[in-house]
Amino acid sequence: MGLWKDIKNLFVGMRITSKHLGRRAITIQYPEEKWTMPERSRGIVVLLSDKETGELNCTACMLCMKACPTGAIRIVAPRDEATKKRDLKSFDLDFGLCCFCGLCEEACNFSALKMAAKYEFSTINKDDLTWDVKKLQEIGRDVDYVDTRKKKAEPKPAVKPAVTDTPVATAPAPAAQSEQKGETS
Amino acid sequence: MSPILASGELILVFRWLHEKLVSTGLSPLWVELITYTVLAVGMFALLAVIALFLVWWERKISAHIQQRFGPMRVGWHGWYQTIMDAIKLLQKEDVRVDTRDRGVFFWAPVICFVAAFAAYVVIPFGDGLIVADLNIGILYVMAVTTFTIISLLMAGWGSNNKYALLGGMRSAAQVVSYEVPMILSILTVVLFAGSLSMGQIVASQQGHGIFNWFIFRVPFGPLAFITYLITATAESNRTPFDIPEAEQELVAGYNVEYSGMKFAMFFLAEFVNMFTVSAIATTLFLGGWNGPFMPSWIWFLLKTLGVVFILMIFRWTFPRLRVDQLMEFAWKFLVPLTFANLILAAWMKYAKWYW
Ligand code: SF4
Ligand code: SF4
Repeated sequence: MGLWKDIKNLFVGMRITSKHLGRRAITIQYPEEKWTMPERSRGIVVLLSDKETGELNCTACMLCMKACPTGAIRIVAPRDEATKKRDLKSFDLDFGLCCFCGLCEEACNFSALKMAAKYEFSTINKDDLTWDVKKLQEIGRDVDYVDTRKKKAEPKPAVKPAVTDTPVATAPAPAAQSEQKGETS
Repeated sequence: MSPILASGELILVFRWLHEKLVSTGLSPLWVELITYTVLAVGMFALLAVIALFLVWWERKISAHIQQRFGPMRVGWHGWYQTIMDAIKLLQKEDVRVDTRDRGVFFWAPVICFVAAFAAYVVIPFGDGLIVADLNIGILYVMAVTTFTIISLLMAGWGSNNKYALLGGMRSAAQVVSYEVPMILSILTVVLFAGSLSMGQIVASQQGHGIFNWFIFRVPFGPLAFITYLITATAESNRTPFDIPEAEQELVAGYNVEYSGMKFAMFFLAEFVNMFTVSAIATTLFLGGWNGPFMPSWIWFLLKTLGVVFILMIFRWTFPRLRVDQLMEFAWKFLVPLTFANLILAAWMKYAKWYW
């Protein structure tokens, strides 16, 4: 009968809500508790430094600036005519413009740029969203990454390691592999 | 001597106050006035605390049903969140629309507040913890709580706002229709208790453990309890009968134009009303303050909060009824059902088929 079914359904609904009442909340108390973000989450863009020397990996090739769809990256790097090299004068990243697409990370060939699993950079001032090279480097210091650059001093390995891939932290480091090969050969 | 009942710890305080006042040689009128003022202030404080607690509790329950935390910031699990909210509302600007009906707009929240609190004159909080055991107790409660409808209608009319007016009208229509089955299910109890006085109704449920409670007097008792619970939900304008304040249709219903303390008065009155209907359910069906081992007022509070809890689970489980369905449910289903129940109970009483 329809009526009995309806009445039964009322109790089914109440049983479900009561069951949920006893469960633990799935939300967390944000400033005290935080999620551990996934390794490859696209948080803020950081500049990476060399693991040994601590120097910036960036060669000022400006590929990231060209790849950026929103024009969030502004690089000033005049070219030294004698050495044919660019000198990185400033690297400004406006997070107010950044849409966290990750195209800059894909464009960079020198393991110099990465989207870190960090997300707390809110400010009360709009201008503070533009980060300069120092700030970007500092926040990137403790970010783990896979160095895919070719090492200059060492002899070339037999098999070229892939250099254009996005660095995947969990994969074994191709650079380390090439080093070993260089030693054995 | 005032009609304050004879026993109970709290009553001793008032007895003492009464005697002290008499010994100072004041005229009896003043003695009564002062005693009852103290009593009224005490009741007001108690009910304000209960209402604030219920607001917090409701937020907590709704949050946990939705697997959230609810208020967590102020105090342990946000226990004084509602106090802070009340303080915030007190500080808020009292926005008044220019097109309002001045007198009506001002008095509506006051009447709502007073009507909600006035019912507590006859609610027995425990053994002897009753302000005045009127011989028409339950009738008085029904009469006084009905004032709420007038205040809602006044709020709707006085705001001069179509949403508020619609909310007020709906609420009046709803409460008036649900009053009928409510009174019919209460009458079933009154018939067996043989009295309208709350004290007598509680007394008639004593003995035989819990089996003298009216909810366990099959078949009419449980049925009357269920119909009472349904109508009580409708009376206190809660989901699934919350069309007077259906947010999706009416913004907020009758209290759209209210802000600051006036809004807080409506809000608190709503929760006091919820406690009232639960307290009446406890008194009429669940044996009132009767219970072993613990003080009577603890039993009363436990049972009442249990009923409140059921009402809260209702609210966060069921979807809202449509206006026409609501009226249909009241007039075509509840009224005949409660009538049949009343006739059955009367017949059983006549045939002495009860204990
Ligand atoms: S993530 Fe996208 S928008 Fe942001 S800086 Fe990189 S390329 Fe530009
Ligand atoms: S693409 Fe990489 S190396 Fe080139 S400018 Fe950008 S960060 Fe520097």
